[in-house]
Amino acid sequence: MKKNERSRRRLYAAVWLIGAMLIVSACGAGIEEKAGVDAKGKLTIMTTIAQIADPIAVIGGERVEVNSLMGPGVDPHLFTATQGDIQKLQEADMIFYNGLGLEINMVQVFEQIGKDRPVLAVGDGIAEDALLHDEEGAIDPHIWFEIDLWQQALTAATEQMKEASPDDAAYFDANKEQYFAEMNRLKDEAEAKMAHIPEGKRVLVTAHDAFGYFGRMLDLDVIGLQGLSTDAEIGLTDIEETIAILTEHQVPAVFVESSINPESINAVIEGAAAAGLDVQLGGELFSDAMGAAGTEEGTYLGMYAHNVNTIAQALGDGEE
Amino acid sequence: MDPVLQVNQLNASYRKNKVLTDVQFQIAPGTLTGIIGPNGAGKSTLLKVLLELHPRLSGTVSFFGTTYAKAKSRIGYVPQRGTVDWDFPTNALDVVMMGLYGKIGWLRWPTRKHRELALQALNEMGMADYAERQISQLSGGQQQRVFLARALVQDADLYFLDEPLAGVDAATERAIMNTLKLLKEQGKTVLVVHHDLQTVADYFDHVFMLNRTVVAHGPTADVFHQNNIYRTYGGTIRWMGEKSG
Amino acid sequence: MILGLSHNAQWVLASTLILGMAAGVVGCLAYWKRQSLMSDALSHAALPGVIIGFVLAGSKNMPVMILGAAVSALLGAMMIQWIRTSSRVKEDAAMGMVLSVFFGLGIMLLTWVNRMPGGNQSGLDSFIFGQAASMVREDVYTMAITALLILAVSLIGYKEWKLYLFDPAFAKGVGLSRATMNVIYIVLLVVVIVIGIQAVGVILMAALLIMPSVSARYWTHSFGWMMVLSAVFGGVSGLAGTWISTMGQGWPTGPFIVIAAAALFVLSLSFGMRKGLLVIALQHRAQRKKLSGTAMSSSAVQRGGWG
Repeated sequence: MKKNERSRRRLYAAVWLIGAMLIVSACGAGIEEKAGVDAKGKLTIMTTIAQIADPIAVIGGERVEVNSLMGPGVDPHLFTATQGDIQKLQEADMIFYNGLGLEINMVQVFEQIGKDRPVLAVGDGIAEDALLHDEEGAIDPHIWFEIDLWQQALTAATEQMKEASPDDAAYFDANKEQYFAEMNRLKDEAEAKMAHIPEGKRVLVTAHDAFGYFGRMLDLDVIGLQGLSTDAEIGLTDIEETIAILTEHQVPAVFVESSINPESINAVIEGAAAAGLDVQLGGELFSDAMGAAGTEEGTYLGMYAHNVNTIAQALGDGEE
Repeated sequence: MDPVLQVNQLNASYRKNKVLTDVQFQIAPGTLTGIIGPNGAGKSTLLKVLLELHPRLSGTVSFFGTTYAKAKSRIGYVPQRGTVDWDFPTNALDVVMMGLYGKIGWLRWPTRKHRELALQALNEMGMADYAERQISQLSGGQQQRVFLARALVQDADLYFLDEPLAGVDAATERAIMNTLKLLKEQGKTVLVVHHDLQTVADYFDHVFMLNRTVVAHGPTADVFHQNNIYRTYGGTIRWMGEKSG
Repeated sequence: MILGLSHNAQWVLASTLILGMAAGVVGCLAYWKRQSLMSDALSHAALPGVIIGFVLAGSKNMPVMILGAAVSALLGAMMIQWIRTSSRVKEDAAMGMVLSVFFGLGIMLLTWVNRMPGGNQSGLDSFIFGQAASMVREDVYTMAITALLILAVSLIGYKEWKLYLFDPAFAKGVGLSRATMNVIYIVLLVVVIVIGIQAVGVILMAALLIMPSVSARYWTHSFGWMMVLSAVFGGVSGLAGTWISTMGQGWPTGPFIVIAAAALFVLSLSFGMRKGLLVIALQHRAQRKKLSGTAMSSSAVQRGGWG
């Protein structure tokens, strides 16, 4: 029948048209917006890890709105961005990430987004010889544990913020100075506390090599079971060697990390116990992630202090 | 005499096809019955439904006046040879012993007496020399004989055999039919799904003609004639035998 | 101390040895049920259950995660069954479907969980690839009890297994319930999978279930010996793989166990006394020689054109 033919063809055309419109609008939604200050006047900033977000929120104060992609307990070595994450990144005026190989799964995303808005790896500006490397030459990305280096990183971020919002430059700088003063105070306290740990026991054993800079700053030997990144499987030799070192130094405690499963550390503790060495679980440290939002440990300073206290208590000789 | 098998209004389907419709019959003891019909007639399905290997839609089945569950120990079954993986690592004797598992008891080990019973059954089928032979190394006819030995060792009163003569050599065919005749003489009842019309009259005293429903059933002499054959096979064959009418 | 090995090494060796034996035996059952792919399907199907268990229990609660794995694997088994009986899809396709869908669901959940605020997520990754090195004394006990259970069930019901695997239709006739055996079989399979994925991970578990029994096939014509050899090969793979992994810096244990199993397979394929390639080649040669020795005329032999 002619009538049916025509209406069927019209139906097909309508379907194709709607389909095409949907595709085009989806593409359109992907078109990035220009960077700049948004309608409310605040700078919207997205970061990867909260160790960047928290200080930047303080430095930026009321003139910025900062969010981090990775929350408490999330492992940045393993984190892969979803469409929702990319959406959030595209809505921000600028993006800060750690760099130096920490967020390895996001490199391509940053390259893509960096075409339309400032995307800054805050660790990039740090001098090569100031960085730590492992035996294979890979860079240790956990720079937030060294107060001096982290101040350099935050400064780089602040400069970026001043560029985008020049009127607030003085405001940002003032906040920054205040925050850095607190960081320095934290550093002094940490050094004081760590001094109580006797010479032979200055060994920090954790699940992965996140505390290299921490150890350098506070004069501790650092041993991670898993190396610089958490995506490698732990081998028997890793565990055995760790136990050997613990035995050699008679280290009283090892530590688990909030973002890594405690199975491997438990194996170390049990293995050491079977060999006659009484190693305690010193506590949980924050390594790649910080604590829950709204708590003391959810802030950079609070997290750092928690680590210092936990380590000092477990390894120290009990004097304050 | 009471029938050893009584089937009323049996209905069953196989993969959305109605394969058995209102099947009704009874089997008298001491008979050797051939079940024939074209492909897809439901012959194998009938056996499986009776032995509760396949679900039925409706109808009742009674063995020796009671349920299948209660009568199971008196029933022997020889499935089609192709239903089994003959590569399985076991020998002929082992397979025959499987027929005795019900008597050995669950979670118990077979005794020497059981072994001897099994050897005896193999011997009856002319397979005593092959007791230790891997079943993968047996010919089709030999495999069939092992299967039959397994059924014999159950010492049942009612035997079901599904196409036991398919693809076997002449010697095996003779051996099997001799054994079945022997069973009949002992007063056992035997039902055989059979594929070769030429030999029906020689082998079976009763014949059961099935094409999704019972076409005819009774003594071969009375029932196995051209008309019924046509009705069973839907005119797809030409009967070259002497009888007609 | 055995052979100067550390306690950790001893625990891992013991765990993988026992696991290998149990997996070998269960794998033998799966082999004859023609369901070797089922091992792979159920291993992969366990992943979403592990993650859901983690989400529900809030933190890394091992018993709950193991339970989750078991439930998930069982659901996978039921789904395969359902697909087979209610559609025209063949068994291997059904297994492939369940494998990929469940595993995909698991990965999706994993990505979601990796972004949740709640610690210790990367421990979930160890279920995918295994973390044999973290085995401790408790794990040895768990493995031992499980393996003992599996061996007991296999041994006590030995003739029942033989019958059920060879001719399930006849089995029913003799009074062996197919459904019961099937349930026991699935339970054994799920238990060994759930215990094993902690050591070798979801992806490699199937290798440990399939390879030892396939290797054993080449050495024997007896079902009983095949089960024994499967256990032996599985255990040896576990031991050898673990031992090799101790020789290198940070070598992962799971993959080396699989490589050991594969090596055993290649050896069996080549040299197996019953069906190995070498044996078959030798048999052929012997038969050809026999033929040429008896049937040929003397002139042909003189011409030297045979052999």
